[in-house]
Amino acid sequence: MIIYAALAVIAGLLVGLSRQINGRLALSTSAMESSFWNHFVGFAFITCVALIIGGLFAGEPQASPWWAYLGGPIGVIFIAAGSWLIPRIGAAQTAMLIIAGQMISGVVLDIAMGAPGSPWARTFGVALILLGMWASRSKRPKPITKHTHSDN
Amino acid sequence: MWRQCCPTCSLFPIAPQHKIGDACLMENTSLSPKPFHFAAAFGAGSLLTLMILCNGTLAAYGSLFFASWVPHLAGSVVALILLLILRPRRAAKARPPIWAYLGGVSGGVTVMLTSATMNTALALSGTIALGLAGQVLFSLFADMRGLFGLPQRMPTQRDYVSLAFIIAGSLVLIFFGGEA
Repeated sequence: MIIYAALAVIAGLLVGLSRQINGRLALSTSAMESSFWNHFVGFAFITCVALIIGGLFAGEPQASPWWAYLGGPIGVIFIAAGSWLIPRIGAAQTAMLIIAGQMISGVVLDIAMGAPGSPWARTFGVALILLGMWASRSKRPKPITKHTHSDN
Repeated sequence: MWRQCCPTCSLFPIAPQHKIGDACLMENTSLSPKPFHFAAAFGAGSLLTLMILCNGTLAAYGSLFFASWVPHLAGSVVALILLLILRPRRAAKARPPIWAYLGGVSGGVTVMLTSATMNTALALSGTIALGLAGQVLFSLFADMRGLFGLPQRMPTQRDYVSLAFIIAGSLVLIFFGGEA
């Protein structure tokens, strides 16, 4: 059990690692090019592993609704956005704002799709997240020129 | 004077609205995200929800490999088309190091790990919660060290406070907000 918990934490670390590496690539190229390589290299990697392990086309993938195939195009924008943001606002701010957006939109989606859930827990959770986002909007950094004035 | 603080400023020519002074302030410590950054990150999080809905639906019909393989294939094609249409300028003439192209491998391993842990007692909620912890720990460490050649940025007390609130709210939603 401890091992699986560790694996789940490692999965999270790898999300951060991948965003950091993609961000570095975007610094030298562009956010969209970084997104392309992320998908293309990931595609090659998954193809190799799937060829070794097998079972890629198991089940009835042809029965899935058409919109389920939109995950890829959405991912292109998602990865490009992350690569664009991370050198600008830092890894921690990027991670926490993405998490906030994911959680709150998840609640909206659940409500829209009529998923059962506790209204008070949803309200409380969303309120905590909004509070956290509000707290991260720190005051403008003090202008540095002010220091040089007083030093003079 | 403060121009000297920021040798990486020259790495940011892709964004015309990103002035040199801003980059310097960011390195200094506590640049708060501008409203546009805020909206972009929040919007990206919403896209993630839609992406998980799509890929999760694929996984319900086909294999977990299929549910990761198809979005990567479709994503490669769409990104290539967008690159050909938009032709974004390369930010630097110097070639990036070869490892910078390997972010996708890390993403591929993530899919395999989460699909393994989801089927244990951790379930989806435990997998997501522990994953958030891993993501936050890594991002804080990456900022402190400026890992992989990105700007270094010491997290402020405010960052820790807002992280604590956002993680607490996420945990409430994950464990009490619905039937995951």
